[in-house]
Order: sequence, then structure tokens, then C-alpha cells
Amino acid sequence: MKTILTDRPLSLDLGDREDLVCFDLSRMRIAPCVGCFGCWTRTPGSCVIRDDAVKVYPRLAESDTVLYVSRVRYGGYDLPVKIMLDRAIPVQQAFIRLLDGETHHVQRSVVPKRAVIVAYGARDREEEDLFRRLVARNAKNMSFAHYEIRFTGEEQVEAAVRQEVEAWKRS
Amino acid sequence: MEKILILNGSPRAPRSNSKRYGALFDRAWGGESETMDLLRADPGAVAERLETVSRVLLVFPLYADAVPVPVLRTFQALEERPPKNRPTLSVLVNCGFLEPEQCDVAVDMAALFCKQMGWPMGSVLEIGSGEAILDSPFRFLAAWKIKALARAVAADRPRRLKAAMPVSKAFFLKASTRYWLAYGARHGVTGEEMATMEIEGQRPS
Ligand SMILES: Cc1cc2nc3c(=O)[nH]c(=O)nc-3n(C[C@H](O)[C@H](O)[C@H](O)COP(=O)(O)O)c2cc1C
Repeated sequence: MKTILTDRPLSLDLGDREDLVCFDLSRMRIAPCVGCFGCWTRTPGSCVIRDDAVKVYPRLAESDTVLYVSRVRYGGYDLPVKIMLDRAIPVQQAFIRLLDGETHHVQRSVVPKRAVIVAYGARDREEEDLFRRLVARNAKNMSFAHYEIRFTGEEQVEAAVRQEVEAWKRS
Repeated sequence: MEKILILNGSPRAPRSNSKRYGALFDRAWGGESETMDLLRADPGAVAERLETVSRVLLVFPLYADAVPVPVLRTFQALEERPPKNRPTLSVLVNCGFLEPEQCDVAVDMAALFCKQMGWPMGSVLEIGSGEAILDSPFRFLAAWKIKALARAVAADRPRRLKAAMPVSKAFFLKASTRYWLAYGARHGVTGEEMATMEIEGQRPS
């Protein structure tokens, strides 16, 4: 299972492969997390906000490969991807374990994954370096076994995504 | 003492730990202060208030290793319509995990915002175990570091401070399990139910 999360429309031909899905967050209705911890303590594994996010996080959990497409803002993700990643915490339990000597949440049924992040619009090296540090931290909380970051300009986003998707189709 | 603007960036501002940390800071500050919740405040009103102060304290929780949405939205709105004034921005961030260093990236995001805006970056306090410390016997440690933060902000002497429960990781794991079990029990949910491996009622194949 392979999943794309994008903050902008992409013209992609995914063929009729059911194992490839693209969520265009710019066309979805997803509210920001309200920090209620309902997904850990009231309805474990389900978010209490029943909008489009509930279609996305189960799919991210079962994907062995994910591709995130996001503009970079202040060394982090821009709002669409940021909002969705915050809303994905139902895939974790409230309970905490040690991972690489640090405290992190226990994951529910989440497949370890390879993540590719197409990050566009970073202003300079400093912003790229901060984004790298963010993704390194995300890797621990989001079950990235491997990840790659491809920094691109806005015009090269489609090409970078297409290159990755073509490789998926061949696999 | 000059007035300080306290911005609460929590997505659950009215019932947040950030509100409690902000209140402790306010008490330590002693002078005039004004608090705004970024969740509800109109960015134009925030920008207007920023014209009137030389110091700002941004209080927020760590969300997915980064700043939460109300902070990101505010940064973007201020960048679009920057106030003429360039206040010094200090940061008080708290996170659920034990290690305050897990907040480093979020602090550096705030520092990058300052750099892009031409604002001076002030002092920083990172609080690990921040979800629970205020209701633990170690509340005094958080309060003590917040006092040190208030002094550094008042003296315009940027410092980088950290606080966390002074317990072993093994103890923290046990204490956090107790904390979350009690949280679930308040909603009639058992530990076994909370530990379900299912997501949206399904176990991925
Ligand atoms: C969606 C979401 C994401 C979170 N991400 C992190 C994280 O990456 N690291 C961490 O230590 N705590 C994380 N937390 C825990 C909060 O930082 C912690 O509970 C904090 O005390 C909340 O502060 P507040 O009440 O001021 O909002 C997260 C909480 C939520 C709801």
C-alpha cells in the first residue's frame, strides 16, 4: 500500500492500481486537532472529529510507503500537511515506551514505512536544515524506517512526484 | 516593569497547560501583562497589540515535533501584514514527553520566524513532561524555571532554559501509564480498550 499526501493538486496517472492512493488535502475538509485526547482516552483509535481526516490516517497507518508533498514554512510543513499530521495521532496509543533511549508513544497497527518528502519553497539552506531535523524527529513518531527528503522549487514538484510514482508502478 | 504580551498558542487554549504556564509566568513577571489566545484572536488584533509592546512571550505545546497550528497560522498572518514594531520574542514551550530537547526544532522554527521578520529572539524555556508536571510534586521546579525565564526576559538577557521531572525514564514510563489510565477511567474507558491496536475499528492486514 502506497499513499500520497499533497498540499496542492497534482496531475498524476496512478493507473487502476488500488494499492496507490493520492489524497489532495487542498480539496479535503480537515479541521485542526483540538487537543482533546479523545482518540486515546474516549474512543481509542478514532478521532472525535468526523471529517475527511478519518479516511486518511488509517490509510497512512497501513501504507508501507508514503509520499508527502508540502511547501516549507519556517522549517516545517505548511498548514495542509501539518493539520493532517496532527490529526493522525489516533494511530498511536496514549501509553509511552522507550525508543532509541527517548520517550515516545506506543504505535497501534502501524506498518513501518519508507517516506519520501517532496519539500518545496524553502528559502535557504538554514530552512532546509531545520526541515531535515524536523523529519528526523517525525521519523520516530511516525514509524519511518527510512526516509528521503527532496527539496525542489515549486515548478519541479510535479516532476519530482512523477519520478517517484513511476518507480512505484514498476515495483 | 514594562508591559509584556503573552500569546497562548495552544489548540485548546481555554483549558490548556499553556494557559497555566502563562499564568505562572504572569505571576513571576509582576508587571503589566496582556494575554491573547491565538486560537480565537483575530491576527489583525494580534498585530495591533504587537505595536504596543517591546516584549512578547509565546507559550505553546509541541505538536508533532513542531509548532501547533494556531502558532503557524499567526506566523503566516504576521508575515503577510507585518507590524512596524519589532518586539523581542521569548518562548515557553511544553511537550508531553520527558525530554525537553524534543522541543528544540519547534523553538528553532520560532527563531527562524524571528529572523525572517527581523525580530530579536529572546529567552527560551522548554518544559518536558509538561502535560503532567504541574499536577505532580515537581510543580515547584516548573514554577522555579518560569521565574528564571521571567527574570531573563525582564533583563533582556537571552537564556535557554529547560525543565522536566527529575525522574528516571523507567519511572516516567510507569507514572505516565498511571496518568493515562486515570484519564481513560474518567471516561469509563479501560486500559485494555485504550491499548487497542485497531484504528477506526480496523486492524490493518
Ligand atoms: C496532536 C498532538 C500532537 C502532539 N505532539 C507531541 C509531540 O510531538 N511531542 C510531545 O512531546 N508531545 C506532543 N503532544 C503533547 C502535548 O505537547 C502536551 O500534551 C502538552 O502538555 C499540551 O499542552 P497544552 O495543554 O498547552 O495544549 C501532542 C499532543 C497532541 C494533541
